[in-house]
Parts: sequence; structure tokens; C-alpha cells
Amino acid sequence: MTTMTYQKPVPLKDQDNKAYWDAADEHQLALQKCKDCNTYAHPPGPSCSKCGSKNVSWEHFGDEVTATIYSYVISYRPFLPGFQDDLPTIIALAKLDQVPEVKIMCNVLNCDEKDIRIGMPVQMIWENITEDRALPQWIPIED
Amino acid sequence: MGNISNRYAIVGVGESERSRKSGTTPLHLALDAARAAIEDAGLNATDIDGVMNYNTNDSCTSHELATYLGVRPKYVKDIQGGGSSTEMLIGDAISLIESGMLNTVLIYRSMNGASGQRVGRGYDPDMLQTALSGGSFIMPYGSASPSQWFGMYATRHMHETGIRKEHLGHVCLSFYDHAQRNPNAFLHGKPLTMEDYLATPDISSPFNIHDSCLELDEGNAIIVTSAERAKDCKSKPVYIMGMSLRQTHPHVHYWNDIDQVAADYVGEELYQNAGVKPEDVQVAAIYDCFSWVVLRQLEAYGFAPRGEVGDFVAEGNLRIGGKLPTNTAGGMLAEGYTHGMNNAIEIVRQLRHEYKGTDRQVEDCEIGICTGWSGPDIAGAMILRN
Ligand SMILES: [Zn+2]
Repeated sequence: MTTMTYQKPVPLKDQDNKAYWDAADEHQLALQKCKDCNTYAHPPGPSCSKCGSKNVSWEHFGDEVTATIYSYVISYRPFLPGFQDDLPTIIALAKLDQVPEVKIMCNVLNCDEKDIRIGMPVQMIWENITEDRALPQWIPIED
Repeated sequence: MGNISNRYAIVGVGESERSRKSGTTPLHLALDAARAAIEDAGLNATDIDGVMNYNTNDSCTSHELATYLGVRPKYVKDIQGGGSSTEMLIGDAISLIESGMLNTVLIYRSMNGASGQRVGRGYDPDMLQTALSGGSFIMPYGSASPSQWFGMYATRHMHETGIRKEHLGHVCLSFYDHAQRNPNAFLHGKPLTMEDYLATPDISSPFNIHDSCLELDEGNAIIVTSAERAKDCKSKPVYIMGMSLRQTHPHVHYWNDIDQVAADYVGEELYQNAGVKPEDVQVAAIYDCFSWVVLRQLEAYGFAPRGEVGDFVAEGNLRIGGKLPTNTAGGMLAEGYTHGMNNAIEIVRQLRHEYKGTDRQVEDCEIGICTGWSGPDIAGAMILRN
């Protein structure tokens, strides 16, 4: 074993979200889009959560993804295994610069809890959490 | 909903003891609450022909409750639910009575909320990922507690409106003050000052322990019947003037647009159905799983304009003697927590003027509002009168 065992929950793949997590494992962002109402659906699902259409597809946004912090909480207690070693945890919604209607839930890493603020610019990074899985995360970038 | 105004009434309310360690089952607690409500209404158990409950797989069934009340009702119903379910089941009960199917319905919520299964704790994370819609986009980031989910909303709303931590504190202080007047409140004898409140460290920002509801072992029950049949009851009926219910957000836990809440869409229909305006409301039961949820609902239900809710609560308007005495038994922050039903019970007692002559009674109150909040995605509310 080269890596320490990852204690936090690993995202479970299912038939509806597999394309997102497969892309994440390749350090890429993929989003589901409805071809009928042109809405990006995040989280993805079996059909469009806005209009109910089954006519959905996947779009790729590469590995240069930026966003601004839309809201956040600072968590001082571990409500799930693995987070006890990582307190306080910043949990945030990041509003994508490229697709502002999509907000991705995440942790903000490399950020003191006193510095987090709404409107803060962030960049997506991918944490390699197991040998074959990667988790999208965010780090602050200069204004 | 058709015009059901004033044609249905709550005629009985009751609760079990509340504690952190009941030492008994939700069935026992539910029986205590149901028997208290039946006695309050002056009915026999066999007058109940419908039994309904909501739960999160943490309770007994309506069938079991009916069995041990010695009743064989025409209809039983158990739903999965939390906040807003009290209002939704009262709506169901009215519909079934309106259709002629039933006469008198008992609705209960019973749980060992402290000693048994607790909300947001002790679940297997992988189970949560699959159980919650969009769960695999939430759990890997450590978000598994309602305090974290609602905190995300609160941070954004406070940023937009200028509401500050001490405004959350005023909500807590008002309800803790009410609990000091209620010997049955769990936090009776435990007053809270702003200094203590602000000195308490956060659990999930912007919430500390005082901003969060009390999870207790407790059973609550409510009996609904027609206005006509209510005349035969011992209690003073509290009439339902109007209701409204609504689901908004697509996902139950992955909330993308956190600027809107379901309550924003309920208010207008509620007041229209009831034929009253916010300024006519004299007493309130506002769902208070967290302090901030109260502020957001006061805005949604038209009690203070957006941006002025903080001032509204800082002026003491939630307190008995204020413009909108709210959660007058202490609420879920200081009395007890049964996913909203204990607040509904209290507003019934206020509208009956049951505390007349004491410092707990909102003097001469005639019209009250009771709101539910199942998260920002589902709201239910009703307006009641004596
Ligand atoms: Zn669509």
C-alpha cells in the first residue's frame, strides 16, 4: 500500500451520476445538460429536474474550472467519519464562472476559516483519494 | 384547496412527558399523548375513526397505536416526514372528513429523539449517499447534519440582508424566555442571556447549540373533526381558517438555489384561503428547528419586510407582549422537539385562552399562524382562530 486508507465517504457511482464521477477520476468536469430546456442539471439524474425531459446529455468542461463562493458553512464537528482529523471543515457552494446556474458543493482547501467569504474566487482541483478515485475540491485563487 | 374555512377544528391536543431518556418505546409515548388528546376533547377512544402519523422510521405505526387504544379505526396512515407533516396530515384529515369517509382523526408524532435514533447522526455514510437525493455530491464533503445544510442558507441570507449573529440570538432569547414561563419546557430554569449566547462556540456556522432544536423523547397528538361534531366535544374548538402546502426545490438535500424557500410560495395562498392579512395574526407557531429558520419564515409570511427581520426580532416582537408572540411555550429551541407538532399544540392552547390570568397567555388572541418547514424545499402552514 502506497497511500493511507481514506476514511471519509468515497462518492458512490450509480447509473445517473457515473459520467460525472468517471470524469472526476480523470480530473475533468462533466455536467449533465437538458437538450430541451437547455438547463444544466447538477446533481445529474435520470431526467431533467427542471422540465422532466429524458433528452439529457453530458458536456465536458476540461480541467481549468473556476468559480466564486456562493455560500458556505464552517463545520466544527465531524458528522461523518474521517472529518475528525480535519476540523474546522469549510463546506461551500461554488458558483461556476462558466455555468453560473450550477453550484457545486465542495470543501475549500488551503483556506483559513477566517478568510472564507461569499464572492471569493476559487479554482477546482482534484484530490486523489484512492488509487483510482479523485474528488473535486476547490482552492482560493488571487482576486 | 376548496373553501373549507372554519368548517374544521382541532378539538384535542396532548403530549407525553418529555425527556432525554424515556426508558420506554415510541408506542408508549404515543399512547400517553393520544389518551391525553382524547381526554382533552372529551371523546371516547372509539370515537376516533382515523389515525395518522409521520415518522422517519423511528416510531410505532398507526395500526399499533389504534390497537392499544382498543380502537379499530376505518383508516390508518403512516407517512415518512418531518417538518410540515403536521400541517399536511391535518390537510389529509380534513379531506377525508369532507368526503364523508371519516368523522374524527387523531394525528400523532412520537419519537425517542434523544435516546433512540437521532436526526443526522449515527447513520452509515454509504447508506446516506444512496438514501438522499444527490447524496454522493454531499456526503464526501462532510455535510450530513441539518445544521450544515441550513447553515449554508443562513450564511447566504445573512450576507444579503445584513442579518447578524445577534439577531439569531434574539430569536433564541425570546423562546428561552417563554420556556421560563412554562414548567413543562425542557429548558425551564435555564435562562439565556445575549452575552452567554454570543460566547457559545459555533457547531456549524452560523449556529451554536442554542440555535439548534432540542432532540428529545416525546409524543404529541392532535384530534381534528368537523365544526359540527366539534360542538359535542368538551374542549373549546380551534377552527382552521385556511391552509397552504408546497414543495419547491428539485432535490431534497442538494439545494442549488438557496435564495428561495418553499414558504415564499405558501404565504399568498395561505392568507387568501384564510381571508386575513399578516397584520391580523396575533400569535404564532413558527417552525424552529434552527433560529435562522424563524427569521426566514417571518420574511416569507409577511411579518417583516426583507432586510428588516433582524430589527423586528431585536425589538422584542417575538416575545409575549410583542407584536407577534411566537413559540410561546419555548418552541423547539427550548420546550421540546417533535418535528413541529408541539408548536401546533401550543398555539391551540393560546387560542383557547387556556393560560388566562398567567404570564404565559397572549392576551385576547383570536387569530394565529402555524407554520411547518421540512427544509427549504417543503412548507405547510395554517391559520387558526378561536
Ligand atoms: Zn429540461
